[in-house]
Amino acid sequence: MSSIGYLIKEGFKNLFHNRLMTLASMGVLISCLVLTGSAVMLTINASDIVDSVGDTNVTKVFLDDNMTKLEAVYKGKELKQVENVVDVQFIDKDESIQAYRDQLGEEVFANMQGDDNPLPYSYSIVMDDLSKYDETITRIKAVPGVASVSSHREVAEKLTSLSSFITTMSLWIILALAVISLFIISNTIRMTMFSHRFEISIMKSVGATNTFVRVPFIIEGVVIGLVSALISIGLLFLLSNAVISFARKILDFPYTNFTQVMWPMIAAFCAAGVLVGALGSAVSIRRFLTHEGNEVLGW
Amino acid sequence: MIEFRNVSKVYSSNGVHALDNVNISIGKGEFVFIVGSSGAGKSTFLKLIMREELPTSGSIIVNDMYLERLPRRKVPYLRRTMGIVFQDFRLISKMTVYENVAFAMRCVGKKNDAIKKRVPYILDLVGLADKAQDHPSELSGGEQQRVSLARALVNNPALIIADEPTGNIDPEMSYEIIELLNEINKRGTTVLVVTHEHELVKSFGNRVITIDDGRVISDSDDNRFVTI
Repeated sequence: MSSIGYLIKEGFKNLFHNRLMTLASMGVLISCLVLTGSAVMLTINASDIVDSVGDTNVTKVFLDDNMTKLEAVYKGKELKQVENVVDVQFIDKDESIQAYRDQLGEEVFANMQGDDNPLPYSYSIVMDDLSKYDETITRIKAVPGVASVSSHREVAEKLTSLSSFITTMSLWIILALAVISLFIISNTIRMTMFSHRFEISIMKSVGATNTFVRVPFIIEGVVIGLVSALISIGLLFLLSNAVISFARKILDFPYTNFTQVMWPMIAAFCAAGVLVGALGSAVSIRRFLTHEGNEVLGW
Repeated sequence: MIEFRNVSKVYSSNGVHALDNVNISIGKGEFVFIVGSSGAGKSTFLKLIMREELPTSGSIIVNDMYLERLPRRKVPYLRRTMGIVFQDFRLISKMTVYENVAFAMRCVGKKNDAIKKRVPYILDLVGLADKAQDHPSELSGGEQQRVSLARALVNNPALIIADEPTGNIDPEMSYEIIELLNEINKRGTTVLVVTHEHELVKSFGNRVITIDDGRVISDSDDNRFVTI
């Protein structure tokens, strides 16, 4: 049907006619989508980290600062005798400081060699049964000369609670933004319809069906949704690259990149954009056609 | 073509009795003037024909469709059987004359090829072939009304309804428009002209139905009424 081409053209004309509102709708929808995408990326990576960290069954035991190397090495035997401990490995102060230097750069730790090294001797311990984790930790802490115990599990727990907090927060924000974008899009379309009420009135008087009247406005909404989705994808790509390269400096980890989850994300964004756009316009068209646009003007 | 049987219309919003037991029958190919002062019920009459309003009682048949039984989704198809000429022309100012006429064809889903053939023919018929690319603001009132008429004609309706077609144009142009409507009528289209201008009506020998206060008070074709 040749009128399809005509209707699509009309839809695009509407977008330009209402530039400011179009931009406002897109802005809100884009923030909504970018936030959703960020939350998804964050959740994926946080849970990756949590999984990998939680799985490494390694607990670090720090010894008292004033302990000599000999005493420290000797502590190993005692630690190995603790119930549920299967393996202990001694870590020299120098090794520890070297690990920090590797991670964080030379300069800061340059003068912390030998006797100036502020780090204590430590052991990494492997447990047999992780379900007895807490009791084992208590027993290790009871060994004289043990200053503190740090476990990746605590880090993992903190990360889990942080990521679930962020997820919940962003879920609410996303929900609010979705409602706002629906509202703004439907108002944008309503304004377009209002500014076209004269044409619509003529259309109805010459016998255009409601579907015919609707199509350009639906197209307007769908295009707003689609363009917003595409811009969001681009923004998210840049944003996640920047954040991940920054995160690598703090913690080297095989982060999930945006490109790895890009296709389902693009599909979801386009679907969401089209849905919000179509829904937003459908709502306003319905209202318009049953109220002010129902009649032939001024009769 | 158009038949009103005991039609009454009371607006529920303000209780106004716009039409009171109206019986009118207009046959195919007729040219009829509906005359009445403002507030007589002419607008209601048109709204009922276009199925913008439903009668409170009585029945209306337009182009073989029983309007009170016509579902909403069929209303556009009723309107495609009629062309409307408005007092204020109702032309879209940002479109050219050609586009204004083509618009009516697009609205009913006509193909581009058909539009390209039909619009120049209709513009020629109303004598505006050379103004096709002008905008409505560049035309005189009479010319604008002829564009409005071209738009009403372009989908080849069986019925043309002109609502005060001469209301906004010079008297000499008025005759021209009615002449044009007469021409169209001679080609077989039923024409209904709603007006308050008795003088204009008298100079043409067509059937005249006079409405006053919601009632038909005279019909030149009906022996029950005195001819005016």
